[in-house]
Amino acid sequence: MPREIAWFDALVPTLLPIFLASLLLQWGLDWLVGRFGLYRYVWHPPLFRLALFACVFGGLGLLAMR
Amino acid sequence: MSAAIDRLFDSTFGARSGEVAAWLRGAALDWLFVAKATFAVLLTGWLAMRFNLEQPGTAMMTVAIVIHPQSGMVIAKSFYRTLGTLVGCAVAFAIVGAFPQQRVPFLASTALWIGLCAGGASLQRNFRSYGFVLAGYTAAIVALPVVNHPQNVFDSAVMRVSEVMLGIFVAGIVSDAIFPQRLGDVLRDGVRSQFANFIVFVRDSLRGVLPRVHLEKAHLRFVREVVQIESQRSSVVFEDAGVRQRSPRLRLFNHAFMAASTSYHSLHHLLNRLQGAEHAPVRERLMLLAGELADALGPPGSEPRMAAQAPALAQRLAGLRERLVARASELRVGLDARGDRLDFDTGAELVARIAAELHDYTNAYAVLASPYMARGLAEAPAPFSHANDWAGAAVVVVRATLTMFAMGLFWLDSAWPDGAGAMLIATIFSGLMATMPDPLRAIRYMLVGYALGLVAGIVCVYGVLIHMDGFALFCAALAPFLLPGFYLSARSAWPGVGSGYLLALLYTIAAKNPMSYDALHSLNDSLSQLLGVGCAGVAFMLFAATSDSPWLLRRLLRKLRMQLVHACEWPLRGLLPRFESASRDVAAQIVAHTRAGSAPSREGLAWSLAVQETGRAVIELRMALAQVDVSSRLRDDIEAALLALAGLYANPGRERYAHARRLIASAIDEAAAHPALMSPLHLIRLALLDTGAVLGARVSEPAAQETLHAT
Repeated sequence: MPREIAWFDALVPTLLPIFLASLLLQWGLDWLVGRFGLYRYVWHPPLFRLALFACVFGGLGLLAMR
Repeated sequence: MSAAIDRLFDSTFGARSGEVAAWLRGAALDWLFVAKATFAVLLTGWLAMRFNLEQPGTAMMTVAIVIHPQSGMVIAKSFYRTLGTLVGCAVAFAIVGAFPQQRVPFLASTALWIGLCAGGASLQRNFRSYGFVLAGYTAAIVALPVVNHPQNVFDSAVMRVSEVMLGIFVAGIVSDAIFPQRLGDVLRDGVRSQFANFIVFVRDSLRGVLPRVHLEKAHLRFVREVVQIESQRSSVVFEDAGVRQRSPRLRLFNHAFMAASTSYHSLHHLLNRLQGAEHAPVRERLMLLAGELADALGPPGSEPRMAAQAPALAQRLAGLRERLVARASELRVGLDARGDRLDFDTGAELVARIAAELHDYTNAYAVLASPYMARGLAEAPAPFSHANDWAGAAVVVVRATLTMFAMGLFWLDSAWPDGAGAMLIATIFSGLMATMPDPLRAIRYMLVGYALGLVAGIVCVYGVLIHMDGFALFCAALAPFLLPGFYLSARSAWPGVGSGYLLALLYTIAAKNPMSYDALHSLNDSLSQLLGVGCAGVAFMLFAATSDSPWLLRRLLRKLRMQLVHACEWPLRGLLPRFESASRDVAAQIVAHTRAGSAPSREGLAWSLAVQETGRAVIELRMALAQVDVSSRLRDDIEAALLALAGLYANPGRERYAHARRLIASAIDEAAAHPALMSPLHLIRLALLDTGAVLGARVSEPAAQETLHAT
């Protein structure tokens, strides 16, 4: 994919929409994990959330930038 | 982390070391926050410089504003700040695009937008209000610097958004991932202590009589707790998905608490009326009944461990209502006078109702406190209703708009180079302070903090930073100046001094890569900043906020009484939780805007208690009326009485008072065949007759002459 996309004639880095998409995905995952109470098995839930987000964003970003 | 600190202190000082350990634990948590905040600010500065952002100082300021000891607060604040920033940017585009070359319409529309946002902010209770303020002044932050080069507005907006977002992300991650102090824990403790306190309060006071003064005090405490739990609930949902799942349950818990506390107040109100020898038979029987309820709540004097005992307590309360009703019909034998029977029936029904409501309340708590996820609720609980005074919001709009516009005109006419800075600061403060309970006092503290911060900033830049080279030394130079600011904002002795200091410090330092050193500019800028804060203070004196304006306070009182009018008139569906929450919301506003113990504060509390009890009885009456099959004549009578009551509360006055009393007395005579209607009617009349209640005092008619009983 290109590194930048023209969005209404403004150049936006491709990573920005990916970032937003991973935020959405993260929100969904967080809801699921919270819904089933899985955070009780995690030592440090915020750190887990952060790491999960890093994985999601990193994965999607690497896929797109391949 | 707090658990780890607890363990550390317990092992060092022993479990019962008491005060020293508690103080040290508090101090350790404060310093932990200070360290985290300083780290977050410096990290943001480094990242902003790495990313070649235009003003790393803005990002650092964002961190200083957003950061808070509890991570849920930070995330909630960040969320609304993000929304506010984006909206503000969009509006800045629109304004700059519409008036690129006309100065006055440009200023006027910016001022109006900021005013509207500040007004919207005053209608919100939690950090949503902060988002509104942000949407207002972000437009100014983006548009003002490019006022001479409108074609640059897009770049300016992108830069501001990037800086603010960077600050928000770093603040959120640092406070949530590194040794978090969780708002969820604070909320959990608050809920637990509220539950334990209320149960103990009910249990210990059921056997005695609470004078009206104590009732008002308890009412004040309960109102505060209800509003606080609601406000924490609205922030904590950002912190933790587990808590988010429980959020509807928490709402249910709060509603159950409100219902139970109102009924409890009504019962004590009734018992207060029954002092004196002639009422002794009724009083003693009611005390017996109340004693049974108190026994179910546990032995007196014991300090219950509530989380473990709540399910057992709920079980004990489960069938209690029926038993109490049966016991009441036994006790009723021997009461012959009609008035005595009426008093007893009303009291017995209240006791039974309290038992049922305490059962709901205990159940709600037991589900909330259990570590297992409960199934979802069949029906979403009613939201917490807020009641707002539009006049107060209008004052905020006018104040913010006029401040901004006056400063803008002064800037244009005097061609003062730093006028834009002064204007910006004045706007920010008139928006931010408008949501504070006592803005004049807050702005005074802020001004002190601001002046200190400016001096510290100038010392830091021209005494220290100018000799430093490289980012590590920059951090080393900055940290000693940041620490006291964060320490001041962690300790809430002087609210606002810390944040004013930090804002001024970071603004004066205006970190950039490379740094620019221009003493003349710094001094001019500082002067304009101080002037801006001062102007905001003047605006608050000219357009007084609620705490300083008797007019707005009177309007709030009227709003409180209007809750009763709504209880009489609005459709029944969902009315009870709406009434209970909205009337407490107004009461909390009145309490927040008045000094504790002052005459307006006491008047507000007395009104609040009267509205609460009467409104609850009115709703019970209307619900009973919807179920019972009564003659159309009685129905008309009761509706006329409710109408008269609503008219009295809307406009208290001597004739209306007498009229309402007459109508209710005749409705009681008519309704004798319908016990379900009798006790709410009786409660309404008691509240009306009570000379201590503020309504009687207000219409200055000695109500005591009328006999209590309909004979």
